[in-house]
Amino acid sequence: MTLPMQTSFTQRSIFERFPFIPALGILAVLLILNGLAEPNSLSFRAITGLTKTYLALMFLAVAQSFVVFSSDIDLSVGAILSLVNVSVVVMIDQLGGGPAAVLFACFAGILVGVLCGIFNGIVVVALRLQPIVATFATGILFTGIALWVLPVAGMPVPQSFWRTYGGRILDIPFVFYVVALLGLLIWLAVRTRFIIQLMAVGDNRLAAYQSGLPVTRIRIMAFAICGLFSAVAALCIIGDTASGDPVVGNAMTLYSVAAVVLGGTALSGGSGSMLGSAIGALIIGLINSFVFFVGVSSEWQNFAQGIAVLLALMAGVLVTRRISK
Amino acid sequence: MKNSTNVVAEIAKTPLVVALGLIVALLVLGELLSPGFASLSQIMRLLIVASILGVVAAGQNLVILGGREGIDLSVGGVVSLSAVVAGNMMQGSDAGIIPAIIACLATGAFFGLLNGLGVTLLRIPPLIMTLGMLGVLQGLLVVVRNGIPSGLAAPGLAHFVTQPLMFGVPGMIWLWGAIGVLMAAMLKRTLFGYRVYAIGSNENAARMAGVPADLIRVCLFMFSGMFAAVAGFCILGYSGSSFSNVGAQYMLSSIIAVVLGGTSLSGGKGGYTGTMAGATLLVLLQSILTTLNIEEAGRQFAFGATLLVLMLFYGRGKALRG
Amino acid sequence: MPRLSLEGVSKRYGATVALRRGDLDLVPGEVHVLMGSNGSGKSTLSKIIAGSVNPDGGLIKYDGSAVTIPSPQAARDLGIAVFYQELSLAAHRSVVENICLSRLGKSRGVFRNRAEMAAMAEPFIAPFQSVLGDGFGLDVPVGRLRADQRQLVEIIKTLAANPDILIFDEPTSALDRAQVDCFMAVLRELKANGKSIIFISHRMDEIFEVGDRVTIIRDGETVSTSALADTTMEAILRTMTGEEASAAATADTAVARVQSKGGPAKLKVANLVAPGVDNVSFDLAAGEIVGFGGLHGQGQSAVLRAIFGVSQFRSGDIEVGTAKLRGKSPRAAIHDGLAYVSGDRARDGVIEGRSILENTVPIYALRKRLFITSPRTLGEKAKAALEKLQTKYQSLAHPINSLSGGNQQKVIVSRWLMAPPQVMLLDDPSKGIDIASKTELFRVLRELASEGMAILLYSSEDAELLEHSDRVLVFNNGRIVRELRGDERTRYHLYQAAYEAA
Repeated sequence: MTLPMQTSFTQRSIFERFPFIPALGILAVLLILNGLAEPNSLSFRAITGLTKTYLALMFLAVAQSFVVFSSDIDLSVGAILSLVNVSVVVMIDQLGGGPAAVLFACFAGILVGVLCGIFNGIVVVALRLQPIVATFATGILFTGIALWVLPVAGMPVPQSFWRTYGGRILDIPFVFYVVALLGLLIWLAVRTRFIIQLMAVGDNRLAAYQSGLPVTRIRIMAFAICGLFSAVAALCIIGDTASGDPVVGNAMTLYSVAAVVLGGTALSGGSGSMLGSAIGALIIGLINSFVFFVGVSSEWQNFAQGIAVLLALMAGVLVTRRISK
Repeated sequence: MKNSTNVVAEIAKTPLVVALGLIVALLVLGELLSPGFASLSQIMRLLIVASILGVVAAGQNLVILGGREGIDLSVGGVVSLSAVVAGNMMQGSDAGIIPAIIACLATGAFFGLLNGLGVTLLRIPPLIMTLGMLGVLQGLLVVVRNGIPSGLAAPGLAHFVTQPLMFGVPGMIWLWGAIGVLMAAMLKRTLFGYRVYAIGSNENAARMAGVPADLIRVCLFMFSGMFAAVAGFCILGYSGSSFSNVGAQYMLSSIIAVVLGGTSLSGGKGGYTGTMAGATLLVLLQSILTTLNIEEAGRQFAFGATLLVLMLFYGRGKALRG
Repeated sequence: MPRLSLEGVSKRYGATVALRRGDLDLVPGEVHVLMGSNGSGKSTLSKIIAGSVNPDGGLIKYDGSAVTIPSPQAARDLGIAVFYQELSLAAHRSVVENICLSRLGKSRGVFRNRAEMAAMAEPFIAPFQSVLGDGFGLDVPVGRLRADQRQLVEIIKTLAANPDILIFDEPTSALDRAQVDCFMAVLRELKANGKSIIFISHRMDEIFEVGDRVTIIRDGETVSTSALADTTMEAILRTMTGEEASAAATADTAVARVQSKGGPAKLKVANLVAPGVDNVSFDLAAGEIVGFGGLHGQGQSAVLRAIFGVSQFRSGDIEVGTAKLRGKSPRAAIHDGLAYVSGDRARDGVIEGRSILENTVPIYALRKRLFITSPRTLGEKAKAALEKLQTKYQSLAHPINSLSGGNQQKVIVSRWLMAPPQVMLLDDPSKGIDIASKTELFRVLRELASEGMAILLYSSEDAELLEHSDRVLVFNNGRIVRELRGDERTRYHLYQAAYEAA
């Protein structure tokens, strides 16, 4: 008798296999709501604009996912984003602003992000400091460095950069290619052995250690990958805002955590979905635009957005829990 | 003989003692860098600022002690909102003090109750729930800022907070001391305190022993809201009038004060005396950095680095290997 | 030449000496039993071999040459695999992922290969095919499995490492007889293939069934190593405890058993339905100790938890004394006069990190509706309760973690003694505690019963269950299938009833 390889759906519900489905549902609902409030918001142009603005948050949410999977958290992602932002902008400026300079600066920026991530990894894992407060402290540190690199926001970026970001290739907006790339990266990542090990570490760290997994190395790698994706998010921000700002990302940190939760990932680690986190970022974007379109007066907009995000968070947590039961 | 030196070594390692030692060290450092830093009036001023942070940290401490990743990220918003509420109820008159304090406590209790219900009934992780609540509060503050004037503190309040009350020590500091005593009594000598530590250490076992964990946790969040509200009320007395988002800095400062004081973020371990030292330490640190007159970049960097170094001394986790 | 030998291995944690002088030698092709009461140092010894604890002194030799084992990974490299009592599984990962977990890092390749993992795992799952039970599958998240299935996964995971040395620490605690038989067969086959197995267990029958030699550790030192064929259960108990009296309990208590008073019914359960409980009804009289028997997970623990208000849903009528049980929470149950002691004390009983006093007073404080806690007055009462069980502790202010497992459980039971209930629900209370503590515990229970308390007892050890129960209710599939009284209380009848209508 051979053992069942594919178990029936009663034994492992479809929601368990694809934790991002509830997020997809919420996304659909929000798209409909946005469409009802303002039909133009579903136009190709509007969707492109939405993607351009929230692509950075999508990458940031995916970055955060890696760390959350291993039951840590990184509250410095926004600061890493800011640091990479100003580093790249200043580097481009120093190197003359030509296309070669831009490419070099981008790669250097990603390296900066990875280094920040490794630093976080060492602080949290090797030095055994608690992630929430430790990454908050490193975030302040990174912000300090960012302020040193570029004390005042505003240094512009050459046209080649934001023209590419906002432009089209073969008549399809550049950002959609980037989204596709992100999708591909997620698809690949989910199929790696590393992810299984990462989730095992997040599920039960002691058990993973006893099973012989190199827990320290795995957790530090998660932080490093988080730094890498945060750096890519920074590049998106540069494309969108076309300038450097040492504190641009700081407010995004908490949104990245919210996006991860909305996407069906448990903050306690061990289970979740990167695709869900990316969708979660879009959900936040759609919530903000919905509040705007619905005609809430400008002073009440923040409040309405706050309530909406809170409700969405509750929904995300509740649905994820019901699935796990 | 050997036993007594061991005991001394053990005591010396506790977070409270380390914090106190660092406080003394920083005072000396500050005096060296800028004579007059450690003067009595300066120390009083620092203590007033520390006491306001300490009040917020008291609520944060309770929530963190209760375990289950308890944390309150909304305290900053409650502080700011409460300052506005207080100002508007007082309108610069002493007669408004009592109504203002009642209104503030009610505000804090209200948002604390919402946080508590979200965490217990809906089982939303505290990080998420209070984060969302913060967003709501910040939105509310925008509305309030645009619509309602910020109000004015009553002279009586300002006097209480900033001027010496007894033995040359301002009332605010006395209030903080009283809160310290109350917290110690509540945590160590009441059933409520036992239960807080119980649910923070092993909630399941506590429930099996009949501890009403959900009820206690809601209380903890309500306490946090009320403490934050009191702090907002006092800030008004400190600065005379409120400006929007005056409370933003208190969110992470209160958490750090609690951690520096030796309370574990996973709950069930620690106490308020350590937090009081932690708050003082933090305020002292910020003051020194300001004195050094470093530009913003350097200040942030130094602040972050110092935090990391301090956390290295306590607040470290257990190694996986024995 | 022994495959592995430990000479004079020691470990201390601060002032506590966990292991003073541990000696052990393992030859190929044997099942070597390691025995000792809790706190004796045997778990420390096995953890040293497993690589999760670093010894302070002593020598470890593998095939004659000195080695160190600094980490679980190093242990694996030496061909040592460990079954952990607390299980080392990731709940959200699937069965096959858990089994292949340590292989994942080792082998080449970035991407996972489902077929390869399944192929790797199958040969090790095969011996347990017939006892896996419903709901088992390679892709099922381990968290969804029953406790016994999870334990089997942990066993399979240990086997899958293809080690030369295996350490099993209480591997059968959640398994039923059929599963244990499969496991024993696997052990015999490993033995025949020349593997060395360290077997730690409290179950005498298993030890004698499959063990070759036994090493006994007492107070941190290895005191004897002998062939099991040359010794008896009594001799082992004597060596292990260093005492004579307590070990010879079996015969005496059977004689000294006081006939149950057969008083008024203290607990009436009618048509109870709950998770794992399929319409159970019974009565419990004052002064009775009624045992729940049968294979694991057939509803015994579920009934106890349902009565105490810990289960998710419950229907049916429960009466304590003359009052109907209203509330659906432990708190309400406590107010209604119920007490519950769990076998999983780390999860359900011990408030770790807190003082012994804090761990002893919660029930009393609840019942008396205290507000202020005065350590002095409460301390007096707590001390009295702890005394009854002869709990060994330094002071009430010491953290409960400073006590051994047996004493910790005594503290938990004292909790209830401080505010005696009408009915006591014992859910495998002696699981994983040393023999001396078990004896104390049951002595007190008998006393309480003779004073009129009604007691429900579930024990995973048949001998214990049969010895201490006035009558035994045998469970099967969530129902009570038979009641054993008087001379019917034998293992034979127990299992006959347990397998009935199966």
